[in-house]
Amino acid sequence: MADQQKSDLDLVADGPLESVGEQALNETSSGDPSLHPSVESLLERFPDEVQRYQIAAGDQWVVWVGPDRIHEVLTWLKDDEAQAYDMMSDVTGVDYGGGRPVEVVYQMFSTIHGRALRIRCPIPLESMETDSVYDLWKSADWLEREVYDLFGITFNGHPDLRRILMPDDYAEGHPLRKDFPLRGRFSRAEQTRLALTQDVERFYSTEDLKAGEPQEVDTDELSAVPENASDDLSGSDLDDGEGL
Amino acid sequence: MGLIDKIPGSGSTRTEGGMFGPGSPTFLTSKVDALINWGRMNSLWPMPFGTACCAIEMMASAASNYDLARFGMERMSFSPRQADVLICAGRVPYKLAPVLRRIWDQMPQPKWSISMGACASSGGVFDVYSMVQGIDTIIPVDVYIPGCPPRPEGLIYGLMMIQEKIRQESLSKHFEHRAEDPALVARPRASEQEVIGLSGPFGNSTQQEELSTGAPAASTSIED
Amino acid sequence: MASKTVEFQVGQGSEMGVGGGGALSPLAPFDIDEPELGTEQMLINIGPQHPATHGVLRLVCELDGETVTSVTPHIGYLHSSFEKLGEYRTWNQIVPLTDRMDYLAPLIYNCAYVMSVEKLMGIDVTERCKVVRVILMELDRIFGHLLWLGTTAIDVGAFTPFLYSFQQREKIYSLHEALTGARITTSATRVGGMMADLPEGWLGQLGEFLDNFPKTLAEVHHLLTGNQIHIGRTQGIGAISADDAINYGFTGPNLRAAGVPYDVRKDRPYYDYETYDFEVPVGQHGDCYDRYLCRMEEMEQSVSLIRQAMSRLPGGPINVEDPGITLPSKTDAMSDMESMIHHFKLITDGIPAPAGDCYMPIEASKGELGMYVVAEEGDTKPVRWRVRPPSFVNLSVIPKLAEGHLVSDLIMINASLDIVLGEIDR
Repeated sequence: MADQQKSDLDLVADGPLESVGEQALNETSSGDPSLHPSVESLLERFPDEVQRYQIAAGDQWVVWVGPDRIHEVLTWLKDDEAQAYDMMSDVTGVDYGGGRPVEVVYQMFSTIHGRALRIRCPIPLESMETDSVYDLWKSADWLEREVYDLFGITFNGHPDLRRILMPDDYAEGHPLRKDFPLRGRFSRAEQTRLALTQDVERFYSTEDLKAGEPQEVDTDELSAVPENASDDLSGSDLDDGEGL
Repeated sequence: MGLIDKIPGSGSTRTEGGMFGPGSPTFLTSKVDALINWGRMNSLWPMPFGTACCAIEMMASAASNYDLARFGMERMSFSPRQADVLICAGRVPYKLAPVLRRIWDQMPQPKWSISMGACASSGGVFDVYSMVQGIDTIIPVDVYIPGCPPRPEGLIYGLMMIQEKIRQESLSKHFEHRAEDPALVARPRASEQEVIGLSGPFGNSTQQEELSTGAPAASTSIED
Repeated sequence: MASKTVEFQVGQGSEMGVGGGGALSPLAPFDIDEPELGTEQMLINIGPQHPATHGVLRLVCELDGETVTSVTPHIGYLHSSFEKLGEYRTWNQIVPLTDRMDYLAPLIYNCAYVMSVEKLMGIDVTERCKVVRVILMELDRIFGHLLWLGTTAIDVGAFTPFLYSFQQREKIYSLHEALTGARITTSATRVGGMMADLPEGWLGQLGEFLDNFPKTLAEVHHLLTGNQIHIGRTQGIGAISADDAINYGFTGPNLRAAGVPYDVRKDRPYYDYETYDFEVPVGQHGDCYDRYLCRMEEMEQSVSLIRQAMSRLPGGPINVEDPGITLPSKTDAMSDMESMIHHFKLITDGIPAPAGDCYMPIEASKGELGMYVVAEEGDTKPVRWRVRPPSFVNLSVIPKLAEGHLVSDLIMINASLDIVLGEIDR
C-alpha cells in the first residue's frame, strides 16, 4: 500500500506540468474600457500590469493583472478615492488544467460608488505564490486560506496560512487542482485508517493559538510526505503543545 | 407482558390499595428480561450526532408537530456519557470520523446506533475524496434509515425498530451480542478488505485502475 | 496585589500559617501578603459536536478566568467537496447539490445557482418565472430566519420560540412539499425555468400562511423583544463598527445591523427588485440585539414582498421556449419521436455554455451569496463552480467579535451570526 502511495506522490512531487502561460494569455481584450471608470484608470495607471480586459456575462468587467505587482494594483483600487473598492467579496482560484496557470480571482465591490470589478491574476505553475491582501481587506483571511488549502497557492504575508477545510496533515494534495482525482489519491481503506489515527486533540496548545505570527508553510506539501505517511501523522509537530 | 398472579388468601389489608383497584393483587411477576427491556425501550435517550440536512429533520421530529417525547425520547442527551442511542444524522467526512468514533466509544453499554439518511449510511451522492462511505466502516450500526433526508416519520419508524430490537434482547445474552473487542476502540469497525469492497464498483481511482488492468495501480490516474 | 489580615490561633505545626512563617509569634496577628497565585490562560474546546455551535463547528477558546481572550475556530468538519463534485456534473445536475449546501433556505440556493448559469449563457427567463422565483426566495428567507430564531432563542434559555418557529416552519415544509415533493432538498429550479409550475391551489395555501405568520411573529416579539433576560444577553454583545464590518467582509443582516444599508437586492438589483416596495432594516450598534431586530424586521418585509409578487404574478409559460435548454413535456416525450430524441439529447449532452465566467451575487438569508461559474467554449460542465458562502466570511469575524466577552456571550455571538455549516465547509 505504502509503495503505491509513494509512487503516486512521486509523480506529483516531480513538479507541475509545463506551463504554457503565454499561449493561454493569447486571448485578446474586448469591450470599450471607457464604459467602466475603474478599468479606464487602471489602463492609464498600470498599462504594463493589465494583461487584458473583457466583459463577461453581459455586464461584468474582468481585468487580468499579472502577479508581480498585484498587491500594488489592489492597494490602489482600495485606497484611491475614485475607486474605493472597500468590499472584497470573494477570493478564489480557478484551475483550467492542461498546464495552464492557476488564476486567483478577486471579486470586489465599492459600496461608495456602487461598482463591481473582477480581477483575475494568473499564477504560473512554476511559482504558485502571490501576495496576500489580508492587510487591505480582513475578509481575505479565510478566503486565502481556502485557496491555499484547495489549490496550493501560497499567499506571502498572510499571518496564518494553514489548511482550513482539510485536516492539517492531509497528505493527498490540493483537491481542487485538475490533476487531483475526485475520490482522492489513497484507497478508501487507507483514507479510513488515516482518518481514525488523527489526533483529535490537536490545537490545544497556547502556542498554536497565537495567530499573527507567520508560520512556516511548506509550498509543496506532497514532497514533504515521508515514505510511511502514518508515522508522520502521529509524530506531527503540532503535538508538542501542552495537551489537556 | 408478564403474568398477574392472584395470591389466594392474602390479607385484606394488603389488597386494599391494590394495583388495579381494591381487591386486586399488589404485585405482578414477570421475566426480568421483559421488565428491563420494557424500561429500556421506553426511556431511550438519544445522542443527536447531527451534522447536516438530516439534523434539521431531527429537530423537526423533536418539535411540536412530530413530538419525539411520545416515545420517552424528548430528553436529547448531548453528552454521550448519558446516552443510549446514537443518531448519526448527516454527512460524515473523514475529518469528523475520529470524533464520531470517540463519541461512540464514550457511550456506556448498552448502546444502539442509528444511521440516518443516505449520506451516513453509504456516503450518498458524495462519493468524493473527503467523505466516509458509510459510517458502518467506523462504528456498528443497528438501524439504517433511507432518505435524503428521511422524513420525521422515517426517523420515528427507525426509533421504533430500535425499540423492537430491544424488546427481543435478553439480559443474559446481551453482552455477548454487544461486547466489543477492546482492540477495536478508536479503530475502524470494518476491515480493510471490507472498506475496499464497499467502495466498489466505482471505487476510487487507485482501485479503478486495479479493476480495469488487473494489475496493482502504480501511477497517478488523472480524471478530467 | 491585595494584602489581607490573617488571624489564627496557634496550631500544632507552623505549616498551618499561610506564609508558613514558623518564626513569627503564633499569637500575634500579623499582616502577610497573599501569596502570588500562579495564573495561566485556560483553554477550552467547544465542539465539533456540541449543541451550541449550530453544526460541527469547533471553537478553541483561550480564557482568562471567564473572559475570552482569543478564539480559534476550526472548520472543515463537514467538507463534502461540492465544488469538486460540480466539475463532474452537467449544469442541471448541479442543482440538487445546491440545496444540500444551505439546508436552512434551499430554494434561495437553487435560484442563485441557475441565475448565474443563465446569466453566463445569456438566457432570459420568462416574467412568470422571475416572479415565482422571487416568491420562493422570499419564502425561504423567512424559512431560514425562523430556524435561526428558534435555535438562537434556545441559546439564551428560551424554549418557546423554538416551538413557535417550528410550527410555522412546518407550514413552509408543506408548501415545499406541495411544490417539489421534498421537505428540505427541493431542487426546484432548472436552467431556463423551474422543475414545474406552481401546483393548483398553492398560492391559496401560501396566502393562508402569510395571513397567520405575522401573528406568530408578533407573539415572538412579545416574548423576546422586550424581555429583560434576552436584552441582557444580547445588547452590547459582539458589537462591531460599520467600517470594520465592511472590511471584515460582513454581509446580510449582520452588516446591516452595524449600520451599513448594503443589501444586494437594492444595490445590485436582480429580478426587478427595484420595482418592489420594501425597506432594508438597518441597525445602529452592530451588536447581537440589532442583528436580532434586523432579522425580525426582514421577515415582515419578506411577507410584504411575497404579497406584492403574488399580486403581480403574470400568466404564460414558466420555462423559456428554447428546445436547446428546456426539456419537452413528458406527454410529448412519450408520444412523439422528435420530442423523445430531443429529450434524450438534452439529458445526455447537456446545455453548451459560451466561454467566460459569471459572478452572480444575490441576497440570501445569511448575506451576499455569490455563485461564480467558469466555462470554456461549448462546455456542458463547469470548469469551476464556486460558491461565495456568506456565513463562511461572517464566521471568520468571530475571533474579533468574541474577544473580551464571557464564554456564555461567545455562544450568543455565534448564534447571532446565523451560520450554517453545510455552506461554510461545502
